[in-house]
Amino acid sequence: MAVLFSGWRWLAGPLVALAASSALAAPAAMLNLPDFDALAAKATETVNISLDTSLLALAASFLDSSDPDDAATKELIAGLKGIYVRSYTFGQDFAYPAAQVDLVRKQLAPPAWQRLVEVNSTKDHTHVQIYVAADRGVANGLAIIASEPREFTIVNIVGSIDLAKLHRLEGKFGIPKLDLPDSKDGKDGPKDGGKHDR
Amino acid sequence: MSEDMEQSDLERGLRSALRAVDPGEGFAPRVLARIAVEPAQVERPARAGAMVSWLAFGLAASVVLAVLLAHEWQVRRLEQGREARRQLIEALRVTDEKLDLTYRVVNSREGAATAEHSGA
Amino acid sequence: MSGDGECTGGDLLTRDLAGERAAFGALVRAHQRLFFSLALRMLADRHAAEDLSQEVFLQLYRNLSTVSSESHLVFWLRKVTMHRAIDRLRRAPPLERAAPEEATAAASETEPGDPLLERRLRSLVAELPPAGRAVVLLRFQEDLDPVEIARTLKMPLNTVKSHLRRSLAQLRERMTETADVLT
Repeated sequence: MAVLFSGWRWLAGPLVALAASSALAAPAAMLNLPDFDALAAKATETVNISLDTSLLALAASFLDSSDPDDAATKELIAGLKGIYVRSYTFGQDFAYPAAQVDLVRKQLAPPAWQRLVEVNSTKDHTHVQIYVAADRGVANGLAIIASEPREFTIVNIVGSIDLAKLHRLEGKFGIPKLDLPDSKDGKDGPKDGGKHDR
Repeated sequence: MSEDMEQSDLERGLRSALRAVDPGEGFAPRVLARIAVEPAQVERPARAGAMVSWLAFGLAASVVLAVLLAHEWQVRRLEQGREARRQLIEALRVTDEKLDLTYRVVNSREGAATAEHSGA
Repeated sequence: MSGDGECTGGDLLTRDLAGERAAFGALVRAHQRLFFSLALRMLADRHAAEDLSQEVFLQLYRNLSTVSSESHLVFWLRKVTMHRAIDRLRRAPPLERAAPEEATAAASETEPGDPLLERRLRSLVAELPPAGRAVVLLRFQEDLDPVEIARTLKMPLNTVKSHLRRSLAQLRERMTETADVLT
């Protein structure tokens, strides 16, 4: 856990700033996600989540404030206005067209969005980009686009979220703890079993 | 238009302005559709007593219906709330998973990362 | 009145007394324009007007056996439409009343006339108090004389004349104000 936590420091700087910012209702922070029905039809697993302000409030009302973990989650989402997730797993490599990913990536352009991190592993054929939305210097949204050989994921968070707090919830509520790979041999840790068919 | 608009001009204007307008072709079918769903109300009660009984029954039925609907609404709300909570947890899990993926790639020997501070 | 013209109201009434809904549909089509318009001008809201008109025809269907002739039918429809409309206006709080633009936007038939003037007049009529509005509509849309208006609205004849006089004066004054603003 300590290793995990210390590992977050590379992201902690800008992301703490994100957490500290006030959540402004900027429409630019909300992506216009395409209709991925064609992808869903080919996928072996699909996660399609759209939680706007009202649904987040509903979910929060079903979190037990007397339970420490629920309370932590409630605190985590307090500044959010929306969470949108589209994730598709396929039975074969690169079964999803790059054009679909590009439709979303095109929206993540300055000045509304700035790329925070981009990582690319040629060995694992994995490409992840993390963007932050900023309005007059204040961060109010997050977007993650992750392309893996058999999985394609977009996460759009509208509002402010403390990602360090999110990380601390790892292992709670069925959020499995992810073992870090051995950095020497570059092996991936065990895959989590949280995916499910919709 | 002159200040002293004559009465006849005003009346002529009103007749012209207040020409009848048609509600459209679908109006009659909609009336018939409404008649089709409310046939029970066509018969009028024969006696005042029968009307009172009918009203009382109708009122009781309405109360029962309201209670049933409220219960159904509560059940549905419970289901929706639980589902929203489940989806929230799942969304947070996926977010954390992808952030961990990023970290893994960054820390692997072959990973190439570009970190650009947003300045936020 | 508009309609398919293939059946007289009397024929339709006869057939409807036998309970034929199709015939009643034809009756509705024969008279819908007139009574929908009354409802529309009274309520200044197309949706409310349609709802009210439907209710009136529904009530007619239930009471068809009490209607004895075509002229009685028209009188009955007119009376019920106006009374229901006035009731609705009196029950609705001021904020819930639709903007007059609803009534003006609805009448988009292209017929000879000054569209802007007519639009303005319709808007001003929609601003009249319910009773005055009803009198004006029956007078200038239905072309009824004050005696017939009094019968339809169950209003004393002098009250009808008074409403008519006041309403026309108000309309004239408002139209003059419009002219002053434009010049």
